[in-house]
Order: sequence, then structure tokens, then C-alpha cells
Amino acid sequence: MLERKPLLLLWSGIQLSLLLLLNQAFALWVSAVFAVLMLYRLLTVFKARRAVSLGLVNILAGVIALAFFLQIKQSGVLHFMLQILLLAATARLLALQHLYEARQLVWVHYFLIASCFILHQDMFVAVIVLSVLFANLYSHYRLFSVATAKINWLQTGRAALIILPLWLGMFLLFPRLPPFWQIPNTKAATTGLSDSLDPGSIEQLVQDDSPAFRVEFTSALPAREQLYWRARLYEDFDGRSWQVNTSRQYQRGNQITASNELSVSANLTDYSIIAEASHQRGLFALATPVSSSDNVFIAPGGMLSSHKPVSQRVSYQVSSVLAPVVATSAEEQLNLRLAPGNPQTKAFATRLKQQYPDTDKLVQALASYYSQQPFFYSLTPPRLGSNSIDAFLFDSRTGFCSHYASATAVILRQAGIAARVVGGYQGGIWYPEQGYLAVRQREAHAWVEYLHQGAWHRFDPTAFVAPERILNNLDSMLPEQERALLNSGWRQFKLLQTLRQQFMHLDYYWSVWVLGFNDNEQRELWRSIRRHLHLLGYTLLLISVIAVAALALYLARARHDKTLPAAAKLLYQHLAPLLSTKQPQQPVSVFLQGCMAKYPQYSPLLSDIKSLYDKALYQNDASALAQLKVELKQHRRQLRRLHRAIKNA
Amino acid sequence: MPNLNLKSRLYPHYWQFIERYLNKRQSPADKVTLVQKLIFILPTRYGWWFLFLIGLLYLLGTNYQNNLILLVSYLLLSVFLLSIVLTYQNLSGLTVQCPSSAEGFATDKVHPVISFSSAKMHYMLQLNLMPHYDTVQLTDTSQSATLSLTVAKRGRYLLPRLKITSQYPLGLWRAWSYIALRQHYWVYPVPDSKTALHPAADEPAVPAGNNIGDTLTSYRSGESMRHIVWKRLPQNPTNPVVREHHQHNITEPEWVIVQPLSGDALEHALCRACQQLLTLENGGKHYGLKLPTVTVPQAQGALHLQRCLQELALC
Repeated sequence: MLERKPLLLLWSGIQLSLLLLLNQAFALWVSAVFAVLMLYRLLTVFKARRAVSLGLVNILAGVIALAFFLQIKQSGVLHFMLQILLLAATARLLALQHLYEARQLVWVHYFLIASCFILHQDMFVAVIVLSVLFANLYSHYRLFSVATAKINWLQTGRAALIILPLWLGMFLLFPRLPPFWQIPNTKAATTGLSDSLDPGSIEQLVQDDSPAFRVEFTSALPAREQLYWRARLYEDFDGRSWQVNTSRQYQRGNQITASNELSVSANLTDYSIIAEASHQRGLFALATPVSSSDNVFIAPGGMLSSHKPVSQRVSYQVSSVLAPVVATSAEEQLNLRLAPGNPQTKAFATRLKQQYPDTDKLVQALASYYSQQPFFYSLTPPRLGSNSIDAFLFDSRTGFCSHYASATAVILRQAGIAARVVGGYQGGIWYPEQGYLAVRQREAHAWVEYLHQGAWHRFDPTAFVAPERILNNLDSMLPEQERALLNSGWRQFKLLQTLRQQFMHLDYYWSVWVLGFNDNEQRELWRSIRRHLHLLGYTLLLISVIAVAALALYLARARHDKTLPAAAKLLYQHLAPLLSTKQPQQPVSVFLQGCMAKYPQYSPLLSDIKSLYDKALYQNDASALAQLKVELKQHRRQLRRLHRAIKNA
Repeated sequence: MPNLNLKSRLYPHYWQFIERYLNKRQSPADKVTLVQKLIFILPTRYGWWFLFLIGLLYLLGTNYQNNLILLVSYLLLSVFLLSIVLTYQNLSGLTVQCPSSAEGFATDKVHPVISFSSAKMHYMLQLNLMPHYDTVQLTDTSQSATLSLTVAKRGRYLLPRLKITSQYPLGLWRAWSYIALRQHYWVYPVPDSKTALHPAADEPAVPAGNNIGDTLTSYRSGESMRHIVWKRLPQNPTNPVVREHHQHNITEPEWVIVQPLSGDALEHALCRACQQLLTLENGGKHYGLKLPTVTVPQAQGALHLQRCLQELALC
């Protein structure tokens, strides 16, 4: 029944592209199994072999599904669902024989194609997914039409013109609901800052050029020195690496209300952030966030967090006060804990404390210590021994931001000042024309916060070692060979870089307008529609009045035309200027006869026209009508000349 | 009828009800153009599944707060809605007529031919005569469609309502229309092949011998009482026997005569007459038909045969 080769090829193509798109959700062997099944199907199509028997396919699919089920722990429920769906589609195609089976196949394809968007949201992939969707729609159409049918482009265009406003209108205006229930999420490797900070972890992160998040400021852009995007608080130190305290990892819900007086008094910085999928909960905010949109919450310590791991791009709004975060009493105890080891640092800290009993003075002294002593900022620091802080401070003196932050926090704690390392991002690239700040993984940074007068003040040792890093960006301050490390491979090509940047801007708008569209913006849209309702009404009224008038005119003309026979209509169409000289009561034939007599040089042509006209009109001869049409078209110029002659006469 | 399920038992009542409604809406006409008033449209089963898919995608998109999935869901919904119009347009504007009346013998197939005219093309139409006759699939309307229906009894019938269905282009909606065309079709009596063995007109004379030309057959209701063989009745009172007379075949070779009978006997006589007419026409003879009420004068040709057969059907 279904021996349509192009359709089978199309479906195989759709399934292969689905495999590529969903590849991220599959283990290697799963992808391999699918690839084998699909390639085998392609082979049978090309060799025009018959479909595999249903029984065999069922057994095969059962075995594979069982294998998938045994792997469900590793793959997760969502990925398992995708695997089973794709398996169903592939098996169906392998044994496809009847029309109703093909319909089921198309149905499952629709669902799978839409599920691709769970994994991919950037614009480029979205375009690919949409084209696969249209391919599937085309195969759907082919199922219900003749095998030889061609797409009627005119009709398709008209359909698209109707669908487009309907589609976008529904998207913009249809009510948006909150999630109904908890759903399984994709399992994927986390990106960005992790919950532990080794001396080397940030160096690895800055070699990644991919975007971390993008910011649009509703209020003025803060100064570059203020752009410290806090993402993680590292409060546990084990002598070598820093960890996020377990009490912070499982915090939920309770919004901070203590800083309300701040929001009233100080001027707020309002901004909205589009964060890339990191598969972690932690998000980004400046200084002290006071309010945020509903999809995120402000955890204690001024950290912004999502309710569940960010598995797809998320957009949220924050208002921050650019002031130190208020401390709680528990935090002080937490951040005075010391780790064993590093005796030199301990001695150094004690000395400092004796010299500068005042916290402010001590921090200043530390800053000048960093800027005056020969400290170096480098992406490739030497390896440090067991007492890593000692080795760094008094021996190598070469390190990256995490080394400086770690050492500073240890010194401050030893000096009896509560301090912690903050991980996050610093700066970003500001695109003034597009009006957004792009923060890449490369902008990853670590600095220190110390407790003073009940608030956590920021202290960034890197700013004293390498001030260009803060004021400009990382690339500008690294030596030549280290910069090459950042811009390796194809990134060296200028043109590609520019293209990539343009694409990034496009992707940004895509994120803002398509991905970031939420119920807030929808409410805003409804409000503005209501505000301009009268204007909209008048426009609609005007348009409909014009449309009705045009329709009436068209109908009147059509009715008038209907009374005229086809031949007469044709003649009036081509000889309108000529016939306008005719008396109303005079028949056309007589008029033409008169013309022939007056202008003998046109008489052969006119007599031809007249005889054809008579034949078409009175004998209802269709061939004569067609001939008349050709004749009139061929001798257009001659007839125009005749008309001129009559007018002149 | 115990073996029929509930659906098929209720269907005639349902169809009667629908037909009453349809008769008010569209009375039979020679030529019917499908307009809004005549076209019904509802989702197909696949359409309901498609709607279910849209709902699923909406749930998926809402739960993941994923605008792109919502976009796909809305796109499919607008395709679904637009296909109402497209499916409707594929049927509207089609002019249907049945130019000639179909004819056929009882218990055999009758083939009415339906022709179309329209300003645009219409694709993938399904035609059948209501209620439930064989479906004819039509890829487009450039050619005419030949339907078929089987009727057991002779006579002149009104063409039943024609159902035209279309699911084009996406199979999500089914648009259909029941059209009543003012056209008849003829069902002639079945030619009796037994008489074909003794073509009466070809036999010049009756050979000598008793009871030749007369045969004894069982009595059929409606036959004249005069022909009953009364002597035989006591032997088998439940099954009377009649003597069949073939004399008229002999005396008037060019005339096909049907005696004034009724019931089964009449049917039998008509079947025989039908066969005789066909044989005479094939033999190129001039012949006429004498029925109790009508006499068709002697003539020849296909039209004459048709006229005679129609008289038989109406008798």
C-alpha cells in the first residue's frame, strides 16, 4: 500500500535529524543502535526491498526497550521517554506497511520534534528544528493527497499569510499558565562555577568563550568596578580548596525582607538577565538584590537562586542596591573557622593584626602589600606544595584570581576578621548599540568579602595586582603567549569572529523576544492593548469600512460583467479607448464596419476581429473566442494607432 | 435480525431522521452546486488525535516553561484551524450532476455516472450513494465518477442521496455533503435464462404430441384459477399445480405478451418477457410488447428495447 519511496526517504531523513538533535540525551551506544536501525531502513528503501516483518520488529524493539529501561538510572526519566519515543518511531518506519501506520508515525514525529526544544533553545538550532517540523508537515500533506501531487505555492503562500498572524497572536495573547506539576529534567553536565573552588578551576573556566549570561539594564549602566556578579559563596576551607557550605546548598524559598529599608532609601539598579542553561540552581546578581521576578528567589546571603536546576535559558528581573550585603550572626561564626597548616601565613596575619588593629586599616595595608610587592597575574601559575597559601604568598607570587582570593581570605580569618571567597563573574562586554552586557565564562572571577560593621564588604585583591583586569578585560592584560591560549584555533580569524559576534547579537534578541517572553510581558502587552483600545478600534473600523467598500465595488463590477458575454468583455477590455468613441445605441459590429469603411488600411484586421467576434458571440464558439484573444493581443500596436487616427480625425 | 449489532439496527432510523432534515434543506435538483448550506464539516478521528497532540505539547511547553514548545503547539493549532477552511474550500463550488439515467437488471449492478464541473480543482473526493453503498475514490474532478448500486426489485427509482466526502489536504477535518439529484434509474426484470433455451420466436410450428407446449408447474400466487389442474389437487392439496400455456408464443411470434397476472406469477412472466425481448432484439427482428395495460407497437433498435424494458419495469 505504501510504496512511496520519496515519503519513506523523507521520514528516514526526519528520523536521522531527530537523532542528531537529541543526541545529547542519549548515551553513545543508544545513538549507535538508532543509527544502525535508521541506516538499515535507508538501505532497504534504496534497494527497494520490502519492509521488515512486524513480528521481527516488535521483538527487536522489545529487546531494545528493555535495555533502555535497565539504563533508566543513568539516563533519567526524560531521556528514557525520548529514547522510547524515538524507538517507537524508528521501529514503526522499519515495518511500515499501511496508511494508518504512517499517520501514527507522523504524529509521533510531531511530538519528538517539539521535544527537541527541551534540549535546544538557541536560534540556529531552533531554525533547524522548525525546518524539520515543516518537512514533517509536508509528509503529512503527502499522506492525504495523490502521489503525484505538487505543492501549490500560491495556495501555500496564502495559507502562510493566514497562519502567521494567527500563530503569533495566539503566542502573544493566549493565557500563559504556571507549570502544572513537577517534571523530570534533563541530566547533563553542569557548566560554569561549581560548588568547590580549587586553585586551578577558574583558569580552566576562562578558556571557555561561551556566554554565561546576558544583562540588560533598565536603569543606568553601573561603573565597571561595580560589575561584580555574585554567584557562589565559598565558606568552607580545608587548607587547599574552598567549598560552598552545606547549609547554603539546600536553601529554599524564604525571601529576604530585611533589606526593605534599603530599597526605599538607596537608588536601585534594575536589570534583567538571560542566563544560559547551567544545570545548576545558582544564578547571578549584583551586590544586594532586593526584589526579583517570580521564577527565581533571593536566598540568604544575597544569592539569587532558581527553584530547580536551570536546564534551559531562563530570563529573570532583579533590582539591586549597590551596597554591601547585610550579615547574619550565624555567618560570622561560619567564616572565622581556620584550617590547619600554612604557618607562615598565620605569622604574617598576626603581625598585620598587631600593626593594624582596625579592620579597615588592615585591609588597606593588605591591598598596598599586593600592589607594592612583586606579585604576578598569570593563567599558568606554577604548582604549589602542601602549604599552598604559604607557597603562593611567599614563594611563587604568581597566580590567578582564585589564588589571590583564597590567600586573602585565609589571612583575614587568621587576623580574626570573618571573610569568605565569592565566586562569580566580573565585568562583561558592553554592546552599546544592542544595549546589553554579555558575560562569558571567560569573565569568571573570585574575590573576597569580609565582615565589617555588620555588612559584607567586597575586597578584590586582583584589582591591586592587575587593575587592568578589572577596568578592561582579561585579554588586554595577559602577555602575548597566554592570550594565544585563549584565542586558539579558529578564533584567530577576524571575519569568523565578527560573524560569530553578529550571530550572538541575533541570538540575544531571540532570547529576549522569544525565549524570554513570559506572563509578565504578556500582562504588559494586554495592558498596552487596553490602553490603545480606542485607537486599535478606530483602525480596525477604518480597515473594515475600506474592505466592505472594496468588496461592494468588486461585486457590483462582477455583476455588471456577468451580463456581458465573454466575447464582448474581451473586446471592451482590449479596445476600450477605441469603443469609447462608439455611440451607445450602436452595435459593436456596425461600429467596426464603419471603422473599416473609414480606415481602409485597417480593414483586413478589423474584418478578422469582427468575424471572430460574431462567431464567438452568436455561435458560442469557444475556439473563435480564443482566436479573438490572440488576435487582439498580437495587433495591440496597430489598434492603438487606429485609435490615435480616430481621435485625431 | 438478531445477528445485527445495535449500530446497524439503529442506523436506518438515524438515516431516516437525517433524510427528513435534508429534504427540508435541499430538495432534489438536476444540478447541485455545493455551497455553505450543504456542506457539513467535523474533525476526523486523526483530527481529534492531532488536537490531543496539541494539548500534550501545550502541557509540555507549560511545564517546562518553554516558549518554543508552546510556539510549536500554537503553530499546529493554527494549521488545524486553517485546515477547516482548506477542507471546506476543497468541496465548495463543486457542481454535481447526473446527466443520464442509469439502467440495469434486478439483482445486478446499476451504474449511475456522476459528472462534475467547477471553476477550480477539487482533490481526493469520496463518493457513495446513501445509505452505505460502495465508495468510489476520485483523485480529482477532471473525469466523471461511475458509482454502483444493487437493487433486488424491478422498477423505476429515484437516485438516492449522493454523499461526497473530502479530507484533503491534511486529513484533520472531514467535509461532506448529501446531495439529492433529480434523476431516476431503471431496474429491469432479470432475463429468465430458462426460456432462452427455447427461443419461442424461432420455432415455426408445434410438433404433434400431447401436452407439448404445456408444462405442469407449481401454482404461484396471483395466477389465474382457470389454469389449476383440479384433478391433481386431491393428491397434494397444499401444492396446486397449473398447466402453463405457451400458445401465445406460437400464435404471435413477433409480439411479446404478458398475461394479466399478479404476484410471483407476474414476476415470472415479466422475466420471461424480458428474455424474449433481448433475444428478439439480438435477432434483429421487429417486435412489439403487449402488456395488460400498455401496448408498444412493433419496432426495432436500442431505444425501442429500452422503451419496452422500461414498460416491463413499471408493469
